[in-house]
Amino acid sequence: MNRRSVIKNFLFVSAGMSLIPACMHDKGKASFLLKNINVNGDQEKMLADLTETIIPKTNTPGANDLSSHLFVMMMVDDCFKKEDQQKFVKGMAAFEDLTKKRCNNTFTDCTPAQKKELLTDIEKKNNIPDDVTAFYNITKRLTIQSFTSSQYYLTKVQVYELVPGRWHGCVPVKTT
Amino acid sequence: MGNNNETRTFDAIVIGSGMSGGWAAKEFCEKGLKTLLLERGRNVVHLKDYPTTNMYPWEFKHRGQVPADIVEKNPVVSRCYAFREDAMHFFVKDTEHPYVQDKPFDWIRGYQVGGKSIMWARQTQRWSDYDFEGPARDGFSVDWPIRYKDIAPWYSYVEKFAGISGNKDGLPNLPDGEFLPPLELSCVENYFKDFVAKNYKDRHVIYARCAHLTEPQPIHLQQGRGQCQKRTLCQRGCPFGGYYNSNSTTIPWAQRTGNLTLRPFSVVHSIIYDDKKGKAVGVRVVDAQTKETTEFYARVIFVNAAAYNTNLILLNSTSNRFPNGFGNDSGVLGKYVAFHNYRGHISAKYDGFKDTTTDGRTPTSAYLPRFRNVFKQETDFLRGYAAGFSSGRGYSGGGRDGFGETLKENLETKGKPGPWYVGSHMMGETIPKETNTLTLDARQKDEWGVPLLKISIAYDDNDEKMLKDFFEQMSEMYTKAGFTDIKTGDSKQAPGLDIHEMGGARMGKDPKTSILNEWNQVHTCKNVFVTDGACMTSTSTQNPSLTYMALTARACDYAVSQMKKNEI
Repeated sequence: MNRRSVIKNFLFVSAGMSLIPACMHDKGKASFLLKNINVNGDQEKMLADLTETIIPKTNTPGANDLSSHLFVMMMVDDCFKKEDQQKFVKGMAAFEDLTKKRCNNTFTDCTPAQKKELLTDIEKKNNIPDDVTAFYNITKRLTIQSFTSSQYYLTKVQVYELVPGRWHGCVPVKTT
Repeated sequence: MGNNNETRTFDAIVIGSGMSGGWAAKEFCEKGLKTLLLERGRNVVHLKDYPTTNMYPWEFKHRGQVPADIVEKNPVVSRCYAFREDAMHFFVKDTEHPYVQDKPFDWIRGYQVGGKSIMWARQTQRWSDYDFEGPARDGFSVDWPIRYKDIAPWYSYVEKFAGISGNKDGLPNLPDGEFLPPLELSCVENYFKDFVAKNYKDRHVIYARCAHLTEPQPIHLQQGRGQCQKRTLCQRGCPFGGYYNSNSTTIPWAQRTGNLTLRPFSVVHSIIYDDKKGKAVGVRVVDAQTKETTEFYARVIFVNAAAYNTNLILLNSTSNRFPNGFGNDSGVLGKYVAFHNYRGHISAKYDGFKDTTTDGRTPTSAYLPRFRNVFKQETDFLRGYAAGFSSGRGYSGGGRDGFGETLKENLETKGKPGPWYVGSHMMGETIPKETNTLTLDARQKDEWGVPLLKISIAYDDNDEKMLKDFFEQMSEMYTKAGFTDIKTGDSKQAPGLDIHEMGGARMGKDPKTSILNEWNQVHTCKNVFVTDGACMTSTSTQNPSLTYMALTARACDYAVSQMKKNEI
């Protein structure tokens, strides 16, 4: 590493350090800069809870271990068309309204039983507004993507080989 | 080194460093010519400049997806199947290099050393006389000035050096070559192969020949390349040099001779014609970064800028002698351009081979050479199509219902093997027409002062009929073979997305109706050659790169022999 890159790295690190406390204290904002959608700190927390409810930690990593909620926000912000971003944001507001109605509180403060009941109803489209379904489907799809494309999943569950080095066109199915 | 005429004078200039330009550079340098290889884009050095090549899926910020703002600003390139997060740095963005679409045309380009040879699909099927004789037999375009026997030794020559994996199939319409061993076909592919052979006369399913080192020979090791490791991440550039691209093969080979000067960021504005000498003397180059214009000189000039950009350079190279574009006395320059019709696809399931599956990954597939109108005209449309054939097997696990621990368990369960899936895509010949044209836009220029290319190309009735026939014939074969749940689809994609653009400076016997002679030499200016896709008189169905490589090596050999005789 030459002198210039050491200085550059130092500056980068110190800039990061000075940013972190600001973010942590300001609960009204998302923890990273979003370019296209508005998600506030409470909503980010709600998303963390929702994604963890969709893919919980068991004896293997869950959504929060993989920061799936940040992945959801980043993908919607970076890779979604405007109208789909709108669907997500509008649906998130509708979802918040619904949790208020159902548990008289935010999703985070719902009891585990209430959370389970709510998501079961959404999955079954049991008298659920379309906006909520749209938001839930986006969040669930991206949470699954975050999980199945994670290092954990691709090294421990379905092992992804960067260099297979082999191709066999016709082999017996392994019965394990 | 000063910047005088002497330092800017070479024996040969090659415009473009992609699939065919790399070959021209190699051939000339090996034959002792001081060669200038001009490339409009940045340098891409094999191994060093493949930034994503060893990245795991989770290391890509968007897991492979291209961000929406890039897609929105660059709709054309975003339609290309390989324009993904892992290889998008090798593709030209629409916004950076605009062109004029008189009719919708998806022009996919790669502006860097190596060009599109970095991201190509690596399919390498030879042409036969059933292809070269097509225009004469069926009365379109003009007769090719060459036949299979003229190019056959040059196919062998480039195949041995590039490394082509294939099976000797003994088909008259798809001649065998110098093959490295084939990879295996899957059980279902072999089943379909046998089924078609038994049930159809003159239809065949074969292993698709491809530019992969399945068993490297000494020449490939000498190039510093190794065995294909079946990564199927080729579009990123290969750390093993397992497939052929200019960067790993021809360009370093040329560099080792000491005769090559590679000049990236060199936009060729035009070819300089000297009226007194009655020949081309060099090229005008605009520096891509500084916009400064410099002239370079040589005895022979090869134009390998990629088919439509080659047309652009020729059209823009006007002089007293050639007021309508270089070598364009006939007025056919920029006309009779064509492409391949890739609109049709078909998929199905197969219920057999329940006890078998595949292991690892394969960089190629099976292939059905053209079977329509090969030996005689038999349909109400001209020519025909080739088709890919691939298969694979999914698993029942990974269900996405529900949430919580149930969902997670499903996602972590591989499950039982599901049915085999099979699929084919169409590669149709299109008929070059006078009405399919490339012209210079009268008003708009790019930032290097080169007029924008105006593309006016469309499908015709022949293409529609052929597409219908593809669906009918493939559905029939699939049905008879016992495939179920057959689905056909018309992507309705615009011409161009096949990335097989061809023609505009076609070869022919008659200078009144063609631009190039049987040696890819401009009829009316003997020291300029065109050996990329622009030279194609007709398109046939084969992926064209192998033919460009062979034509290039052949033309270089001829050019050097003519230089020795002082003919050019």
